[in-house]
Amino acid sequence: MPKYFRNAEAMWREEDLSKEEAMKGLETGEDVSEIGTSIILFQGKMHAINILGTEIWKLCEGRTSEDIVFELSKYFEVELPVLEADVNAFLQNMKELGLVYEE
Amino acid sequence: MKNNWVASSPLTINWAITNKCNFGCRHCYSRTDTAEELDLEALCDLIKKASDAKVFSINFGGGEPLLRKDIYDIAKFASGLGLIVSMNSNGFLIDKETALKLKSSGFSKVGISIDSPFPDIHDEFRGMKGSHKRAVAALAHLKEAGIETSISSVICKINFNDIDRLIEQAVSLGAGSINFHNFKCSGLGFTNKDELDLTPDEWKKFYIYANEQKNMIKNIHISLEDPIIASLGQKDTSSLVKGSVCGKLSLNIKSNGDITPCGFIPIVIGNLCNDELLDIWNNSPVLNKMRNKVPKGKCMKCDHYSDCLGGCTARALALTGDINNPDPHCWENES
Repeated sequence: MPKYFRNAEAMWREEDLSKEEAMKGLETGEDVSEIGTSIILFQGKMHAINILGTEIWKLCEGRTSEDIVFELSKYFEVELPVLEADVNAFLQNMKELGLVYEE
Repeated sequence: MKNNWVASSPLTINWAITNKCNFGCRHCYSRTDTAEELDLEALCDLIKKASDAKVFSINFGGGEPLLRKDIYDIAKFASGLGLIVSMNSNGFLIDKETALKLKSSGFSKVGISIDSPFPDIHDEFRGMKGSHKRAVAALAHLKEAGIETSISSVICKINFNDIDRLIEQAVSLGAGSINFHNFKCSGLGFTNKDELDLTPDEWKKFYIYANEQKNMIKNIHISLEDPIIASLGQKDTSSLVKGSVCGKLSLNIKSNGDITPCGFIPIVIGNLCNDELLDIWNNSPVLNKMRNKVPKGKCMKCDHYSDCLGGCTARALALTGDINNPDPHCWENES
């Protein structure tokens, strides 16, 4: 099973205020998918990712998608198949953009 | 992404490290700027402040940044902090040796100004004979040194019908991208606007055609960064916000450390020598106003306002005195 790593050439940072807003939204059950909590700069292009994307991104340090789902399931109250689908879709997108790679 | 999203600190800083210039461009926004230059030590202190605020990249400009003898030390310091360092230059002073020094000091990208495919027209516009030839040579030296290059062309009366040739020229010179900058009525650009600026209808025709080329030509990136193109259903997909990016993703710093929302808005909102960057970014009433524009005039009834947010704030301010007024370049609902 492939392990996922962040591309070291991608610069990124968490957006503290947006993260705070998303965390509050999560607590009250709001849809926070449109709140960009991290910015990634790669090859001159900016990418914004939401709070789930940010957590997946941070876990791309040599983990498999199963490992990532397991870690996230501790913090996100989402049904496992939904979480698996979200994680795999995100990783696939990041891979296509060159932001993560498999080993 | 939410429409009102603002980065927690600037992602990019455009930094005019000098106002000195060896050219006499007819549209120059900084020619009349008398701000003094900071010395190397003071400048590095400010760069450190930007790095501490998690800024991603600094783009040096001016003036002509290569007229600062310590440009390599400045770049080394900034790149050593992990910042992405780039520069806009007229290219006149870039020979093989300079290009190699730029590379070794950490420049990842250098933009060279070329406004016309025709040397005589470019030279006349830039006020320097032989400047087109030197700009072309600079691009070759930079490429050989392994620095990514782009070409910047300020669109105005002298070139808006020469898009094809400008693109052809950029491709033949191996530039990674060509940036078609919209004309700003700041500094000499304001003085010479009647002679150089296009009409709203001309802007519309230009953008429709330029966007067609952008979608068709795949061997070079064509950048059209102007919020008013949203009304044509076009938007730079790399942009994270709607409307002007100034004050939402980027800031401008002048040679003396003064902070302005962008290089074309001459409102000083602080000075990085004395103020904290994040304090200015989070609390400036001017930035707050720019981030929360209120439609006026024809924008009030325009279907595109939610996408363009009134267009370029700098142009609205320069020509009408109010950032909330419609961008004077906008062709929508023109009688």
